[in-house]
Amino acid sequence: MSQTFTYTEEELVALLKSNDKRAFEYLYDNYAGALYAVILKKIEDTTLAEDVLQEVFVKIWNNFSTYDTSKGRLFTWMLNISRNLAIDTLRSKSFKKQSKIQNSEKAVDYVSNNINEDEKFDALGIRNQLNRLSQEHKRIMNMAYFEGFTQDEISKQLGIPLGTIKTRMRAAILELKKILQP
Amino acid sequence: MTKEEFISSGLLELYATGISSQEESRMVQEYLTKYPDLLEELKQIEISLEKYAQANSIAPAASFKEKLMQRVFPGEEDNKVTAPVIYMKKQGGGSFIFKLLAAASVILLLVSIILNYTIYRKYHDTKDALQIAQQKMEQQDKSNRAMSEDLNVMTNKYAQPVVLSGTAQSPEAVAKIFWMKNTGQVYVDPTNLPQVPAGKQYQLWAIVDGKPLDAGMITTKKGIYHIQKMKSFGKADAFAITLEKEGGSPTPTMDAMIVSTKL
Repeated sequence: MSQTFTYTEEELVALLKSNDKRAFEYLYDNYAGALYAVILKKIEDTTLAEDVLQEVFVKIWNNFSTYDTSKGRLFTWMLNISRNLAIDTLRSKSFKKQSKIQNSEKAVDYVSNNINEDEKFDALGIRNQLNRLSQEHKRIMNMAYFEGFTQDEISKQLGIPLGTIKTRMRAAILELKKILQP
Repeated sequence: MTKEEFISSGLLELYATGISSQEESRMVQEYLTKYPDLLEELKQIEISLEKYAQANSIAPAASFKEKLMQRVFPGEEDNKVTAPVIYMKKQGGGSFIFKLLAAASVILLLVSIILNYTIYRKYHDTKDALQIAQQKMEQQDKSNRAMSEDLNVMTNKYAQPVVLSGTAQSPEAVAKIFWMKNTGQVYVDPTNLPQVPAGKQYQLWAIVDGKPLDAGMITTKKGIYHIQKMKSFGKADAFAITLEKEGGSPTPTMDAMIVSTKL
């Protein structure tokens, strides 16, 4: 959905705090795709993933008063909600009956496989640039940021000491910043 | 840990990706309060990650948005996914310019009406004048034609002029006849005949073998007398003009003979 106007983050937050419907639509138009992709990394089934996405936006709308700007950016907050709801759904009993929890290796593969699927997002250039990210850095960012693995899980999965995850993550994000710089 | 040590530790990155432990998160928030410029550092990390997430985005099914809007805003009519609204920029002072334009157009309209009326009147005057001029010209043309006809008759090399002198009744009267010797055609010039009384008309007679034959009625309208074509005669002893009742008589009224001649 193309937008003929843009809000600054401050404007958007202020409008959402006052229950502005148009701001909610704007939020959807600009962030639904990114959040949906995060959910899909945990939940392969698109119907179920869409259900989760709907819960995410309902939660964002109903609990917007709990968003605290001093703790971080709006997107970070929304991404946390998405990730947590996806994880909660996976852990729920009803879900466990239906399918097994995907192993993390498969989930990581899913991320790289889906990188070029969505042609709608206009940052195709950025997407191509991001292919330059080292596989190692991509993996640690995806596991943490998209899939919400704990440091302990990441340590075991990647076979790196727990204490070096911080520095590894910093190196990954520094590389990301460098690539994103114009 | 100094601020620099804190930055290079990677704790901000852990915090931004959302996997810092509770203890680590608390420490980050302490540092953010202590060094507010770290907020900018955090913001840059978050923006980079946000771009990374956007680059990986996958659009949900097209019908999804409407479903969601129905759920979040139940019972509202305008939940349908519509094209984005473009708000027109209100122009400052627009109404003043509009008023000015409106006033200007009213003035222009009035000026135009006056001008139109004036030009229309002028047009009418001109049209009348033109009509008069045309009529005059037509008359002029007519008389020109008549005059040239007269001239043609008079200058014809076969024309034999015959002068009809006034009788005792009207000694002043004079008429001229041009008799074409080649065709026998007779023309009469009634220019010097007296004014015709109402209800009367001059009639030309040719005397052939002692008998008067009708040679035609002479038209003398509006007092303009022109040479006119009469009947043809191969031979004639004499010509005479009598004043007859309008339309003419079968035989001449002898005592109304105005002019006559003997050839």
